[in-house]
Amino acid sequence: MNNMWGSMEQFSHIYWPWPIAIYLFLAGLSAGAIMIALLVKWNKHEDNTNSIWDAMVKAGAITGPIAISVGLLLLIVDLGKPLSFYWLMLKYNFVSVMTLGVLILCVYTPISFLFAMIIFEKEIENSKLLSFLSPITKFIRSFAHLAKYVEYILMILAICVAMYTGFLLSAIQKLPLWNTPILPLLFLVSGFSSGIAANILVGMAFFKGSLNKDSIKYLLVLDLRAIMFEIPVLIMLFLGLHFAGGQAAEAGVQAITHPTYGMMFWIGVVAIGIVSPIVIAATALKNHAYRPVYIVLNCFLILIGVVLLRFFIVYAGQICTGL
Amino acid sequence: MKKYVMIHDENLCIGCQACSVACRNENDTSDGVYRLQVHAEMKGVFPNLKTNFLRHSCVMCENAPCVEVCPTKASFQTDEGIVLLDESICVSCKYCVLACPYDARYVDPITKNIGKCTFCFTNRVAGGEQPACVTVCPTDALTFGDANDYNSEVSKVIATNSIKYPKSELGTKPKLGFVENKKGGRYE
Ligand code: SF4
Ligand code: SF4
Repeated sequence: MNNMWGSMEQFSHIYWPWPIAIYLFLAGLSAGAIMIALLVKWNKHEDNTNSIWDAMVKAGAITGPIAISVGLLLLIVDLGKPLSFYWLMLKYNFVSVMTLGVLILCVYTPISFLFAMIIFEKEIENSKLLSFLSPITKFIRSFAHLAKYVEYILMILAICVAMYTGFLLSAIQKLPLWNTPILPLLFLVSGFSSGIAANILVGMAFFKGSLNKDSIKYLLVLDLRAIMFEIPVLIMLFLGLHFAGGQAAEAGVQAITHPTYGMMFWIGVVAIGIVSPIVIAATALKNHAYRPVYIVLNCFLILIGVVLLRFFIVYAGQICTGL
Repeated sequence: MKKYVMIHDENLCIGCQACSVACRNENDTSDGVYRLQVHAEMKGVFPNLKTNFLRHSCVMCENAPCVEVCPTKASFQTDEGIVLLDESICVSCKYCVLACPYDARYVDPITKNIGKCTFCFTNRVAGGEQPACVTVCPTDALTFGDANDYNSEVSKVIATNSIKYPKSELGTKPKLGFVENKKGGRYE
């Protein structure tokens, strides 16, 4: 631009770009995968069914730590000064949501790895590549009586991780699409839903041997409920903006009518991520034997929808400000 | 304790951009980014036009959202209430840039540090001088000083004018205030 006062570029720059969107997705997915693994594990304990170490627990135990590690890597790479990231762990500001998030993640991430090591104890000891870890698994084994507490703590941390990503954005007062108390709830629900989808896919791909039809069915039904719950939450988000009036109302309208991000919302989030899984559940999966093609398709659609929801919120939030 | 305040009198401002240039020179601002701009905004219906000159820079919030969100406390406030940045512990997460309701911050394209107006605190004010923009303004539209000192120039300007503090509804309590433009065509 050629104003007498100079370039306006810095005022419309996207300061949090795609790595943040993917990070928010992966953090939610990791937390969701862990929550599901624990839920399944606890249920199986109570039912006292044979395969306690069922595919879903394994899938969640491996997806959780990997997803959060990749996410954190992206987060660090996106810093303007990636090599100075260690300051985040040395200096704290307890009124900053980001500091709280760092603290939660500093506990959540290692415990999610610990959980994976507990679940894969046998595999680690039997594998050629990983057997060097067996002294550690043996050491962990000696604390087996504490395993239950680790699980409880991990569950609470997973919920915190999924929600903090929403609070991280909602702390930004300037951006109406972010500055809403609905965001943590939306991120928790959609993270949960993406965790289920990821667990089913990972379970089908790697742990077929111990795959349990019932648990897939149980999870798909659970996922459907999560998606159904996402609909009113999304509606509340936009109604909230509408009733807030002024700039916030304007921002909401801009976002869902934006040529790029509006499309992303209607096609990606609503049609692909919400409507199509419901249609598949109501038709192909209903009363039928659960056919793998539909299960896989369903899970992919859900994951795409959740990624695009994060992109939509991150980008439209920064662009559509109602001004 | 001193309370440094700056007042921009829009009636005196002629939009010459001398302040902006002086700021770039004083603070060695990188190309393409700005700590300070004076925007010209044409209002009204012909022939009743008027041009407002609006300063765009950090307003030195007393309750600064940028300081609140900063995870490392790299963004901080001095005892005098000046919001500054400690580049050595800033990780450039850009959270403060997003949090600032006045769009006052940017990422320096070269150093990746966060830039913004500092009231020239370390390089001038701490040594008893005035900020660079204030010293060059040809019409004396800018006044800077200690609002707790009743004899200071800036206290007199505050006492004799009605001062507008931008976005006061946010409760950020800016220390950069404006005397609104009353000159030019009427359009209200
Ligand atoms: S105007 Fe922005 S950068 Fe300046 S103190 Fe306020 S919030 Fe911080
Ligand atoms: S970019 Fe630097 S100053 Fe701004 S919030 Fe992050 S660490 Fe703090």
